[in-house]
Amino acid sequence: MKLRLSRQTLSVLEIFLEHAEEWKYGYDLSRSTGLKSGTLYPILMRLAERKLLETSWIAGEPGKPPRHMYRFTPDGLRFARQHAMSATTGHLGLAALNRIKAWVTG
Amino acid sequence: MGAPRKLATSLLTAVVRFAPETSREWATGMLRELEFVDGDWAALFWALGSTAAVFQHVASGWRGWFKARSNNKEARMNNFGKKALGVGTGIVSAAMLALCAFAVLRLVGFLFPAMDLAHAQWTHWLTVIVIPETIFIVATVLLWRKKGPVAAGILVFAIVGALHVAIHVAMR
Repeated sequence: MKLRLSRQTLSVLEIFLEHAEEWKYGYDLSRSTGLKSGTLYPILMRLAERKLLETSWIAGEPGKPPRHMYRFTPDGLRFARQHAMSATTGHLGLAALNRIKAWVTG
Repeated sequence: MGAPRKLATSLLTAVVRFAPETSREWATGMLRELEFVDGDWAALFWALGSTAAVFQHVASGWRGWFKARSNNKEARMNNFGKKALGVGTGIVSAAMLALCAFAVLRLVGFLFPAMDLAHAQWTHWLTVIVIPETIFIVATVLLWRKKGPVAAGILVFAIVGALHVAIHVAMR
């Protein structure tokens, strides 16, 4: 499946890159990016299908069911780190964007 | 728990129940997150968005399935086309050989009228039937493994030619 690198996708990637080793959950990502669930989850699904994200069920508070968590795979992390993401502007430079597009469309 | 949150929970529970296996994990994750969403109306909007996301995921899976299916159909059609082309090539090649044999016979008769080939029955049998049919059978055997459709085309022409001769002889 082709990954659309929309502004929303880039903002999700940026959030994941901030603390790349940490697991993140959907509602947290929704608040951080300002994206609604109907926009956020299709992006997460596409990233997971491209093996850029891994998913896991992780127990949080005792007595509560585990939550579905997400973080970069080694490939995803390498990919994101290779292409320097601009923290100030919140989006990728054009050259980096083109490289990502070429990588994603294979 | 307010009515919007109850509705949201019921909606996502139904989505989890009816979602296909490939999307169920995601739908369950969305349902779990619902507990952490602040505000009843926000929870309802979360559920509505999540439902749309699951539908989108399922639809994209179906699109992939249909695409793969149509590609297979196309590949089968291409394969059939190649075979048909091979059979056609075999038939045309055999027809050309038969035509050449007939033309050679006529040419020899024209160049050497003293041989009186027009009345020599055996020359017809030899040049138009025996030699071409022998070549057809040998070619069919040799080509059968490597170029099956072409061999089949040659064989078809050989059989039709033999039947034509048999009917011709029977009629006369």
